[in-house]
Amino acid sequence: MELLPLQPYIIRALLGVFLISLNASIAGSFTVFRNVSFLVAGASHSALAGAALFILLGSMGMPEINPIVGGLIFALIVAISAGYTRKEDINTVIGISFAMSMSLAVLLISMIREYSSRVWTLLIGDIYLLTQHDIYLMVGVTAFNITLILMFYRAFLFISFDFEGAEAFGLNARLYNYVLLSIIALSSVILLKGVGAILVFAMLVAPAAASNEVARNIREVFLFSFLIALLSGLGGIAVSFFVDVSPGAFASLLATLTYFFILSLRRLSGKVQI
Amino acid sequence: MVKEEGIIAENLFFRYSNFPVLSNISFEIKKGEFVAITGPNGSGKTTLLKLILGILQPESGKITIYGHDSSEREQIQAITGFMPQREHISSGFPILVRDVMMMGISARKRLKKLSEEDEEIAIKALEAVGMNEEFLNRKFDRLSGGQKQRVLFARAIAVEPEILLLDEPFNGVDIPSQNRMLDTVMELRRKGKTVIIVVHNINPLLHHIDKLMLLRNRLIACGRIEEVLTEQNLRKAYGASIPIIYCEEGFGHPVYGDTH
Repeated sequence: MELLPLQPYIIRALLGVFLISLNASIAGSFTVFRNVSFLVAGASHSALAGAALFILLGSMGMPEINPIVGGLIFALIVAISAGYTRKEDINTVIGISFAMSMSLAVLLISMIREYSSRVWTLLIGDIYLLTQHDIYLMVGVTAFNITLILMFYRAFLFISFDFEGAEAFGLNARLYNYVLLSIIALSSVILLKGVGAILVFAMLVAPAAASNEVARNIREVFLFSFLIALLSGLGGIAVSFFVDVSPGAFASLLATLTYFFILSLRRLSGKVQI
Repeated sequence: MVKEEGIIAENLFFRYSNFPVLSNISFEIKKGEFVAITGPNGSGKTTLLKLILGILQPESGKITIYGHDSSEREQIQAITGFMPQREHISSGFPILVRDVMMMGISARKRLKKLSEEDEEIAIKALEAVGMNEEFLNRKFDRLSGGQKQRVLFARAIAVEPEILLLDEPFNGVDIPSQNRMLDTVMELRRKGKTVIIVVHNINPLLHHIDKLMLLRNRLIACGRIEEVLTEQNLRKAYGASIPIIYCEEGFGHPVYGDTH
């Protein structure tokens, strides 16, 4: 076997896994705390329509922009719509946005048949196809999200625990809710190229959900979800060296199996009822 | 600066979408009074608390809190402490009592860095409700219902509010804990703080409060206990006859039975 790890695409894949794990830790954990898991699926699929639109505009002679940027814009629209609605309607709004975006995506793809594979790549994802530009975008968005989480950590925790109380104690809970949902949406989109829209949910939510079952405090949720996502991602890459399988799919399988394994252990120990 | 006026509401009207929740509500709460708000489910008790807090704004009418119009939300929330109903709390994650206690303090400091003094304030507030420093590192979700209530109560008093608003603070709280919380409330009242408490069951408070408000989307009665707790008023509020039993001290206690 040649020295595969020295290949640039391998280094980008490893960097991609690291960045995905950071997002699984910060955004994934708050997705679980705020109980908005469906937003991850909604935002990542809505992003396909944005990506398709940017590819279409590029094919019509407009300046070529990374389709993920279009995805980020569409995902933010979904996040803001979700924040605008009443809590009891949030999943309905996300679901309808999801359906509308997918309809739009398929419509746009049918108009750009020669480039449609670029959009479908985002649906399935491939960590080995990450470009240098993708990595820059992932680093930028991850750094932005981490900065916001560090700045407003207590506010995000407060609105996740007790939205009404946060309002009563003088926080602009609605604004912080918009910011938090936007962070989750942005994280969902930058995972697209690496693991694909279908599997974003597995990599972003499953590690945090698994950690939430065993962690003794909030910091441990962040730490464990990072480690579960990282080990799952590295596991996916390692297995793909020996067997011809999708590393993203294998990583997602590991992350979700970890969740069910922990849940089963907890059930056996009588700490949780499934 | 806290002005001397209390809380004055004039002809408040509020509705959610097309459903009127409060109509024609007028009352006055003097600074330092201990006031209870009671009434059946859906009578607008929590909504009234939110109007006092400035979270909601009346569609018509006016409410001033220590001289501040309800639209001056920032000024109002700087002098109030609030304890929500436990049912509105989402604690399906390993949040510690320390995190919960720091929420109010951190919000009051506009999310600036917390200090050791802040932790001492949190410990003192916990001690006031019969808990100690050891509880800081316990998971909130692992506490009993009554302990959770006491932590939320401690969070509200930790910000040293001029006005304390409590929404169903005694739900699931055992009698000794209830009495301890009540002692803390009475201590705050002695210090001149205003306390407004929403309860379903008024009986544990009857010997302590200065004023009672009976709501059913409008103000059925407001004033001294003996003026408010009449069979006629209770029938108007609950739509059923509720007997009143008088204790040795002469307080009339409604016997709710299955009314709610």
